[in-house]
Amino acid sequence: MSEPRIEVADLIVRYGDVIAVDGIGFDIAPGELVTLLGPSGCGKTTTLRAVAGLETPSGGSIRLNGDTVYSAGQRRNVPAEKRGVSMVFQSYAIWPHMTVFDNVAYGLRVRRLPPGEVRENVRRVLGLVQMLEYADRPASKLSGGQQQRVAVARAIAFSPNVVLFDEPLSNLDAKLRAEMRVELRELQRRLDITSLYVTHDQEEALAISDRVIVMSGGRIEQIGTPEDIYNRPRSRFVADFVGSANLIEGKVRGPSGTDGTLIFDAQGGVELEVVGSGGSSDRATVALRSSYIHLGQAPGSHNAVAGRIHRRMFHGDFIQYVVDWPAGQLIVRRPPTELFEEGSDVTVSFAPVHCVLL
Amino acid sequence: MRLPAIAPRNIVMPLVVLLCGGLVLYPIGFLINESLNVGDPSAFPPEEYGFDNFINLTDDYRALANTLLVSCIATVLAVIFGFLQAWILTRTNIPGRRRLERLMELPYYMTPLIGALAWGVLLGPKTGLVNQLWRSAGAPGDLFNIYSAYGIAWVMALFEGTVAFVMISAAMKSMDPSLEESSRVLGAGKLRTALRITLPLVAPGVLSATIFVFAEMLGSFAAAFVLGIPGRFYVVTTVIWQATLSFPPDYGRAAAMGLSLFAVMLVTLTLARLVLRHGTYTTITGKAFRPRAMDVGVMRWPLLGIAWGYIIVAVILPLGALMLTSFERFATVILSQMQFTFANYQTALQMGSVGPAFVNSLILGISVATIGVVVIGVLAWIIYRSRMPGSGVAEYVIMFPQAVPRLVFGLGLLWAWINLPIPIYGTLWLLALAYFTVFLPLGLRTIASVVLQVDPSLEECARVCGAGWGYQMRTVIMPLLRPGLVAAWLLIFIASVRELGVSIFLMGPNSKVIAPAIVNSWLSSSSELSAAMALIQTATVFIAVAILFGLARRVTGVTQ
Amino acid sequence: MRRLRLAALLVALSAATPAIACDNPRQMAGFKTCADVAKAESEGALVVYSTDPEAAAEQELGKFRALFPMIKPIYLRLQAGALYAKLLAERQGNVFLPDVTQLSDMSFALDFQKRGGYMQYVSPEMAAYRPEYKSSPEGYWTWGALVMAAIAYNPTLVSREEAPKTWKDMLDPKWADAISVKVSISGLQHVEWYLLRQLYGNDFWPRLAPLKPHAFDSYVQQFDRLVNGQDKVALTAQYSGYLMMKAKGAPVEFVIPPDGVVAAPQPWGIVKEAPHPAAAQLFMDWFLGVPGQTGNAEVLLTHSARADVPPPPGGASINEFKVLTPTDWHAFEQSHAQFVREWDKITGLR
Repeated sequence: MSEPRIEVADLIVRYGDVIAVDGIGFDIAPGELVTLLGPSGCGKTTTLRAVAGLETPSGGSIRLNGDTVYSAGQRRNVPAEKRGVSMVFQSYAIWPHMTVFDNVAYGLRVRRLPPGEVRENVRRVLGLVQMLEYADRPASKLSGGQQQRVAVARAIAFSPNVVLFDEPLSNLDAKLRAEMRVELRELQRRLDITSLYVTHDQEEALAISDRVIVMSGGRIEQIGTPEDIYNRPRSRFVADFVGSANLIEGKVRGPSGTDGTLIFDAQGGVELEVVGSGGSSDRATVALRSSYIHLGQAPGSHNAVAGRIHRRMFHGDFIQYVVDWPAGQLIVRRPPTELFEEGSDVTVSFAPVHCVLL
Repeated sequence: MRLPAIAPRNIVMPLVVLLCGGLVLYPIGFLINESLNVGDPSAFPPEEYGFDNFINLTDDYRALANTLLVSCIATVLAVIFGFLQAWILTRTNIPGRRRLERLMELPYYMTPLIGALAWGVLLGPKTGLVNQLWRSAGAPGDLFNIYSAYGIAWVMALFEGTVAFVMISAAMKSMDPSLEESSRVLGAGKLRTALRITLPLVAPGVLSATIFVFAEMLGSFAAAFVLGIPGRFYVVTTVIWQATLSFPPDYGRAAAMGLSLFAVMLVTLTLARLVLRHGTYTTITGKAFRPRAMDVGVMRWPLLGIAWGYIIVAVILPLGALMLTSFERFATVILSQMQFTFANYQTALQMGSVGPAFVNSLILGISVATIGVVVIGVLAWIIYRSRMPGSGVAEYVIMFPQAVPRLVFGLGLLWAWINLPIPIYGTLWLLALAYFTVFLPLGLRTIASVVLQVDPSLEECARVCGAGWGYQMRTVIMPLLRPGLVAAWLLIFIASVRELGVSIFLMGPNSKVIAPAIVNSWLSSSSELSAAMALIQTATVFIAVAILFGLARRVTGVTQ
Repeated sequence: MRRLRLAALLVALSAATPAIACDNPRQMAGFKTCADVAKAESEGALVVYSTDPEAAAEQELGKFRALFPMIKPIYLRLQAGALYAKLLAERQGNVFLPDVTQLSDMSFALDFQKRGGYMQYVSPEMAAYRPEYKSSPEGYWTWGALVMAAIAYNPTLVSREEAPKTWKDMLDPKWADAISVKVSISGLQHVEWYLLRQLYGNDFWPRLAPLKPHAFDSYVQQFDRLVNGQDKVALTAQYSGYLMMKAKGAPVEFVIPPDGVVAAPQPWGIVKEAPHPAAAQLFMDWFLGVPGQTGNAEVLLTHSARADVPPPPGGASINEFKVLTPTDWHAFEQSHAQFVREWDKITGLR
């Protein structure tokens, strides 16, 4: 594998007494889009800004393209304007006193490219974001979505090989967000730009990332592919934050003997077959995704328990049920075709592989 | 049959606007009347009317040219000072920024008169303290002669620099920091970012500060009075001073000159409004952000030096010079001649008139500021928020006192109020009324900037909840305006205590105030006594503000 | 015929003898008064409008208060032009606040007399004043002090040999850019201009113009600059200023030109609609009497117009000066406009 483009090691960032980033590390390979995901205050934006050079860390090291741009040990801190990375800001930061063209051309002009090349590059990237016809318009007159595109165009205009994204879509409405998400990913793939992306929207993170880094309280909870994170959460936090999960308390009794599964005694006398290697014989939690629960009898499922529909809510693309069962309540998501009445008895069933021991 | 209920707001609003407009226009009417007086100057009402006073203005072309020269130089200097300080204190990471920002208020406590006196001590030709040092270092001649156009401009700029600083730093603080960060991430260095991004974005704020400062310079008096006349350099305000104090007093000429300045300043202020409306880039978004300070690396120390340098030059040096003078037996800056004594302070504190004058000034300051902010708060809301017809005109009219030199306006106030059957002449009430009129523009401008930042939906919410207009005002709007109200209160308080031009004509034997007393002592007693009185005044104001500020913080829980 | 001659004699007599305000003036401590003292005390206050420095005036009024503690003195100081403007504006608005006023310019006093602003009160003490030192008819204004002025210089910068000895020495080009005078608003300056013009001809002042004298509003500024070396000589230097600086130990010397020193009067008078008339009359009697004049000379360091009052502390007796004052005040008043025009040109205002 070729050398990683971004390497972060033992990064610590302090604001006065508050430790915003508490010793994290990760590598990003060329062409990868890695997302820092987490709730507000988890340190994801601080980490991104530290990589950009807009925040000064208190410890650790950052390397970009093999060069050390920050190292506490070597007392080295390359200023932002010399790092050669690009960034798209949450507020777009489009300069209102310039035209769209001038905004996008800024980075090229700083690098003293001849005017002909500048024009060529600007037109190229504006075309990529479908904003070419707005080139001569004053930037203050653009809508939110248009500003966002110009911000992206500006970021890629000088063909950087690393681009940082600071929640670029969070100011757009839901539909636009969904569309732009796809476009961004396409662009990133096509131009093969290594990207570090920050968002608090777990749907977005799962959809566009090669890998996801879930953060909480300044620390990394889990790094993995979207499927990893979703199907095999390693902590309560990850299970809860990403996707909709049911958390079932109980105790591990021992191996079941088949397929490496374990017997799990949940409350209310419910006995389940689960997978995973966490938990003790005292206490354990099992995470079970709402979408993996079937209502009614499903063939070959080992875990089947009787329950009753307590509440039904129509969400358009799916129906969410709250189901009473001996171990409490379960949130279940089913396609809209599977309609059950509130109060009716059902059997909930799910495969052991979807019961992940945390 | 019941009368249709008139909403309280429909009575109060026009009443407030009419009252304030009337307060301003009434004295100006007298001024206009007098400027057309070409007969016996002391006849009232004027016996003959004509335009001669205006035509004869061309005789004073030199004073007019001098005024423009000094105002331009002073404005340029003041804006440079203000911009540098604002940039250093709000956008870089030099240490001790917050303390420096508080210190930037200090020059405002000293009147320009005191500053001019102090700079005379420092940079008087041949014998100014600095010049003496310069000479002893072996250099020929003077480092600088303060009794010149440039000297006047320098002193004026040092004081108005704080005003420019406040206005420009407000603009800089409300700038979205990501606008600068994105420039740096794209590879532009700090200097390029400052020139290409920061500067154009704060340009409207800077421009508005420039025009405002220029208007102030046109009407300024104290520095030209102390430093200009000895150097045979006259500006319009000092000519007006001569005209009103000579015998027979040439009020017609004074009024005509004052009104011409008024006209010039009106034009510049109008330009300012146009620029603001046209070119403001809305950098204030709904988000709350802290402007992130730029790390300037090793440049930190030179910049820190510049920031402290301004404070030292504008505050510490002049105060030091004054303190030196106040302890001398006779005012001299020749080191070999100095003898020291406490006698000046003893005299100043024992003078029977000084005590009452101080008390009067403080009473006036507190009452004018308090009533002023309430009335002006309502006024600001009416002008900028309500859609009452004529509020634009009202704003314009209320800004008039800004454009008239204080001395001339004082005359207008004297004529206006002495002819009313209301017996307020010679009492503190008249001074309070006069101060209120003259400080309307100051208060309005300060509170307006806060009013414009308040989200309309906050008021609308109150209305939807059923709150009447009066209730809304009290419970939602005024509390939201609090930072602006506090700032305006402080500014009006200090301005009242310092006020000179208006006080000279409206004081009575029982309503003396402190600023004219200092001028009187400087003109008729001695410089040392004046220095002592000036320092006592500065200290009193400082202490009063500190106490009141502490009280305010306890009451409102606001930390500025 | 004889009756006519008798009548004419009586008229002449009555014009010659001053009409004192009362027949039996009461003798107080050092002065005589015609005022009703009890009434003055019941009035309880005395408002004075004057151009004298506040600290000094308060001391002087303090002496009066020591004698009459029930009369509270209230003092307002303004520069001459502002004071007169205020006085006129107030009267025009039917507001009458001051009891007694000192107007430091004779033009103001004469004008005020013409407008009927003064109350005519012939104090018994006025007999001690020569006719040219009081109004005619008397009782309107009287000279409460004489401000002497001539030339002063700084002996550490200018040696005794170099120093000017006469007025004409001031025209020497070596004083270029080193002379201080007063501004055209100053009554004293007007007097000096008028008198020296009479003495030396109309071209005296135009010959001073090329030396570019610096003009100041106050003698304080003049003397400060003298001490600091910013000017070498002060033309129109007040003797009282010189005494004040000398007492503080500053290096100044005063020149008494043989042709004479100019003297500007300080006319004092009672305002006609005084709110405390009895107190005003009592004060004028005390002030114009020996105690008041002695006190005034002490605090203001000016000379009194009375011959029986000692000179200011540290100062020479009035007999050592040849005192020059205008004799025709009417002509003096008429010359004012011309003075202002010429003086403004000399000092660079126009």
